[in-house]
Amino acid sequence: MAASSEPNSREDIFDSSLNLEETHLKEGYNEGYADGLVSGEEEGRQVGLKTGFEVGEELGFYRGCIDVWNSAIRVDSNCFSSRVVRSIKQMEELLNKYPISNPEDESVSDVMDSLRLKFRAICAILNVKLEYNGYPKSSDGGNIQF
Amino acid sequence: MSLVDESFELKELQVLEGHADRVWSVAWKPATGFDGVPAVLASCSGDKTVRVWEQSPSSGSFQCKAVLEETHTRTVRSCAWSPSGKLLATASFDATTAVWEHVGDDYECVSTLEGHENEVKSISWNASGSLLATCGRDKSVWIWEVLPGNEFECVSVLQGHTQDVKMVQWHPNMDILFSCSYDNTIKVWAEDGDDDWHCVQTLAEANNGHTSTVWALSFNATGDKMATCSDDLTLKIWGSDLLTIQSGNGSAPWKHICTLSGYHDRTIFSVHWSREGIIASGAADDAIRLFAEDGDGLVDEPKYHLLLKKDKAHDMDVNSVQWSSAGNRLLASASDDGTIKIWELISLAGDQKPPL
Repeated sequence: MAASSEPNSREDIFDSSLNLEETHLKEGYNEGYADGLVSGEEEGRQVGLKTGFEVGEELGFYRGCIDVWNSAIRVDSNCFSSRVVRSIKQMEELLNKYPISNPEDESVSDVMDSLRLKFRAICAILNVKLEYNGYPKSSDGGNIQF
Repeated sequence: MSLVDESFELKELQVLEGHADRVWSVAWKPATGFDGVPAVLASCSGDKTVRVWEQSPSSGSFQCKAVLEETHTRTVRSCAWSPSGKLLATASFDATTAVWEHVGDDYECVSTLEGHENEVKSISWNASGSLLATCGRDKSVWIWEVLPGNEFECVSVLQGHTQDVKMVQWHPNMDILFSCSYDNTIKVWAEDGDDDWHCVQTLAEANNGHTSTVWALSFNATGDKMATCSDDLTLKIWGSDLLTIQSGNGSAPWKHICTLSGYHDRTIFSVHWSREGIIASGAADDAIRLFAEDGDGLVDEPKYHLLLKKDKAHDMDVNSVQWSSAGNRLLASASDDGTIKIWELISLAGDQKPPL
């Protein structure tokens, strides 16, 4: 314990040594907080980029499929059964409903789940196998959503 | 007819051999087995084939009339005849459901339903034969509409179960679908107009439900009671108000009536309720058990008792038990030992004791 040369700083010496643990705790916390803020923001940016890309790709895929189907219906209104036409319309409504600009909207996962189900049902009726890399399967243990 | 005072024996009539791997399921063909029409039974197996057996009118023994092969590329897990008996649907681990039609002497695959991501576990036709339901390991239940020309159109893909769905079964009178799963629950699905199917009730642990995988469910003849069996070693009986179901006004909730516990010490894989009211169970201890309702139970609180237990019914797990609907008290059982057995429930006269 180093002694101060000033006689009236005796109390300060004791104070600072008593608060040593607390001081270091606070310092460490602040350091960690600052580092965490920086790396967290960076990580968040990475995650957001990745998730945004994945969601966008999936929605874009559905948009493309719906556009082709709608074109087919416009060319020949009888090419699909009424059930398929209705399902495609429902899927389109879901797609338009997806809160693409607001990722924190609670309904994102519900709308996406409904979209996937509708898509699978339509593919089953049309008897087509439509997939793209990264197409989510409910049987997978992992989940692309964070 | 009182089942309470009589004693019974389950007599083994025949052992059907032929499958090269475990037999998962059996299904009696509707409208056969009486009035001179020979009884017909379909069985499906891990050997990727389905066999159709027919009872000979003269000898009474069952012979294999057809082997449906080279279609499924993996285990055939379940088979079900359409109510008219014209079509046979088979569900396979290869993720497809095949529909077969009897053409001349043989069976022809007239349609293949694809959509499940992996193993299809069960199929069920509704009472009118207009709808077909399938379920599988991908946790989903699919409903298909039967269209002219053996065309099938997917009506809905139902998600809700959180695990492998083991069995689907339509209500015997109404277009209400029931499913049971590895997630320990039974779900009830109904249509809210135009293809809009959703889950109207979930029977879980909190509703006096099972505490482990629910493997099968079966309705009584009137459709106001349902029996379920589980890995939790119990059979549960559920009931619903018949009038409310039939009126179609809103949903008729199912309530737990009673639990039969202490009778099984291994997983119960199959349960089937006969038209007469006898509940048969097939379990992992190779035994078949029969239960009937007590004569002195209260209307609202029926009780069930063990009618008989057939130890060592098979050499291995009994995967499926099915009563014939022909009123001839025949029971078919399928096992991991690769065989199907045909049993007859015989009532013993007066004070005769059944042999052990």
